[in-house]
Amino acid sequence: MMKFNIQKTKLSFPAITLILIVALLCAGCVETEGTEEKVLHVVFNEGPDTGGSLDPANGWTGWYVHQAGVYETLFYYDADMNLMPKLASGYKQLNDTEWEIQLREDVAFHDGTKMDADAVLFSMNRVLDPSNSRSYEYSFIKDVRKTGEYTIVIETNDVYAPLIASLVDPIMSIISPNIVDADKQPVGTGPFMFVSFEPGTSLEVVKNPDYWDGEVKVDRILIQYNKDSTARTLLIKSGDIDIARDPLQSEYSALQTNPEINAISKETLRTYFLYINGGKAPFDDFRVRQALSYAINRQEIVDTALEGVSGLPATGIFTNTMPWNANDQIESYEYNPEKALELFEEAGITKGTDGKLYYNGEPFTIEIQTYTKRAALQPSAEIIASQLEDIGITTTVTILDSAALTANAVAGTYDFSLAAWSTAPTGDPDYFLSLHYLSTGNYASKWLRYSNPQVDEWILEARTEPDEEKRAELYDKIQIQIQEDAAILPVFYANEIYALSSDVEGFVMYPNEYTIITKDIGFV
Amino acid sequence: MLKDYFIRRALYLIPVLIFISFMSFSLIYIAPGDPAEIMMTSPSGGYDEAAVEAFRIAHGLDQPFYIQYLNWFKGAVVGNFGYSYMSEQPVFETVLNAFKNTLTLSVLALVIALVIAIPFGVVSALKHNTVVDDACRFCALFGVSIPNFWQAYMMIILFSVILHWLPPSGFGHGTEISYMILPATVLGTGSAAVMMRMIRSSMLDVMGKEYIQTARGKGLSEKIVIIRHALKNALVPVITVIGLSIGFLLNGSVVVETIFGWSGIGNLVVDSILSHDYMMVQGSVLFVAVIFLLINFFVDLVYVWANPEIRYDRNS
Repeated sequence: MMKFNIQKTKLSFPAITLILIVALLCAGCVETEGTEEKVLHVVFNEGPDTGGSLDPANGWTGWYVHQAGVYETLFYYDADMNLMPKLASGYKQLNDTEWEIQLREDVAFHDGTKMDADAVLFSMNRVLDPSNSRSYEYSFIKDVRKTGEYTIVIETNDVYAPLIASLVDPIMSIISPNIVDADKQPVGTGPFMFVSFEPGTSLEVVKNPDYWDGEVKVDRILIQYNKDSTARTLLIKSGDIDIARDPLQSEYSALQTNPEINAISKETLRTYFLYINGGKAPFDDFRVRQALSYAINRQEIVDTALEGVSGLPATGIFTNTMPWNANDQIESYEYNPEKALELFEEAGITKGTDGKLYYNGEPFTIEIQTYTKRAALQPSAEIIASQLEDIGITTTVTILDSAALTANAVAGTYDFSLAAWSTAPTGDPDYFLSLHYLSTGNYASKWLRYSNPQVDEWILEARTEPDEEKRAELYDKIQIQIQEDAAILPVFYANEIYALSSDVEGFVMYPNEYTIITKDIGFV
Repeated sequence: MLKDYFIRRALYLIPVLIFISFMSFSLIYIAPGDPAEIMMTSPSGGYDEAAVEAFRIAHGLDQPFYIQYLNWFKGAVVGNFGYSYMSEQPVFETVLNAFKNTLTLSVLALVIALVIAIPFGVVSALKHNTVVDDACRFCALFGVSIPNFWQAYMMIILFSVILHWLPPSGFGHGTEISYMILPATVLGTGSAAVMMRMIRSSMLDVMGKEYIQTARGKGLSEKIVIIRHALKNALVPVITVIGLSIGFLLNGSVVVETIFGWSGIGNLVVDSILSHDYMMVQGSVLFVAVIFLLINFFVDLVYVWANPEIRYDRNS
């Protein structure tokens, strides 16, 4: 047999394979060359939008850079939803429209710049600038000025009670006035300093050795972003990751019994609820809406669609962790099919001989529209549909993208729309209530077709009420009334799930989703 | 003559690209949903009407469809692909970065595909109708049939969760090869199965040709006959399949990119479509189209080079 003749420098396939294997081994060698550095590996479900700006003043990017521990705000909510000072040391209301905020005097940015009134002004003006796409959210602010090296005064156009809470949104993160490229090189005051970012996949930060609020426990954090919950679950199971946000709920009990993993879940500020098209008969009758609410078995949804771990049956629109909730004063719609049928009867919806419900001689049908971005939506919608079927309503579920949902809602071509909202991201009730129950609110007018002059009056009054207690009373009254009006049917309060490697300590879940990584996270 | 052909082909690309850009713009425009509303919707759930209106005006979304398209087109002609609505970052830079990541993965996947497909395809043909052939064919059928998301999970469970050999997912700065092995293998094996079946049938075809008998008759060793005479000719029809595979690999697999947390072009396209980021959709669709067309173009070139029977003369 002739010898195999290798021509020129062509690589044979075995040679390529060999090279690849060697390359792989080499890569492994470099990686395992040990350092004493304490590196925390984290996987999140979502990060800065594709394209990748890291500027907190850009859209909702602030959420992610704040979650990563790079930026901080003047005030924040602690794990029990108490409004606390962070970079501010305190505040006082000077008169109806002027608020004075005192700043901490011992804070420096990652680039060494002092954090003072000028820096705060610089940061706030970036958000208030009319060219900022979210400046409208702060249109209640008339002026921000410096009154001392470490004091500023914010003046509002009208009396605006939620002012301090509005500064909690990470868009109000304080950034260094000497920042060169806010999109690519964030410079904040947080416990961690920016190293590198790969859009859509990873963010690397290192310990801030001069952090103003004490010792930071880990040296480096590698944050991965992965949209796939199965992949996140496998990451924590393989031991490659120390903290995984939102793993598969179906794996929750398996993760809990795993001695190397701690699975924890906690109520957030997020409520899943049904929008009802109040502009369409028979949903314009509050008795029909109440009846529908009685026909929903919320406990069953939690037990099945959420497998008992990802939520709690809802009472009112605000979750129990939301400080302003009035859930102990309002009546919840406990599952009660008899009562539902009575109310349907009153509203002229009657049972036919086939056991189905009829309205005006036509079969009573409901279409539930929802989207799939949040995994719990579709299964919940399907269980609600089967519960409504049980009472005699022909119900279908339609999955759409969220843009189509909005288009349908505005056009009025929907019955039910199942949605999920963080109902009080800045911890203040005005935001959600104004949007959904004030007649002029976007969702009240365009989605729900809801208007109650009494509720309007209370909402506007509460917005300007400086006295916290009186304000709370008004919000209690509002919540009692809207529960009765049943324009929205709250379904369940979402729990957030985290899986932690058992050697992680100091991890605390914050209900408002702004804070995740803190200086206190470390290893046992 | 060949040169004329290529110039003609290159010129054809222009109307095709204009058509593609117009189609993608109209489709996303017709799709329900308003980009301004999507961009201005907070992760907490809602949007501010005034902010949506301001966004619409700032980005020219209040103008009629054709004006929006023409504005984009005017920019694109001079190489300005605009800025993402979502992140306000330059479109071209973002697309290029995502493509670079996809390219890394695709090259590795293609190598894996060829390493598997060629030897097994050849062996399968040579051992025609034996147990070896059956085994190879079974594996190929299996490879074509299994969904790649399932294969991805199974490989993560085996190599990461059980054996701890490779990281289950992640980007590893885009340079650490250990992070690429699993996604590239998932992508590569899918293509390998298709290629292998093609190589096998093509080899069988060639092995029956007279020139193979002649080569053997000359007293050439079987190895030379197979590699120089049979395989080289058998690969000609396979080039099309390989070209297509490269095209698909370079357009990025959304499933694989999502599971392995790899920020490639597939994810970018889908994300920008979902958020109605017109600028990013236009930029990435056009980019993907150019890549696909170039590869087809290149495949044609290779075809001519590899097979003297094919000539693209005007008269033939």
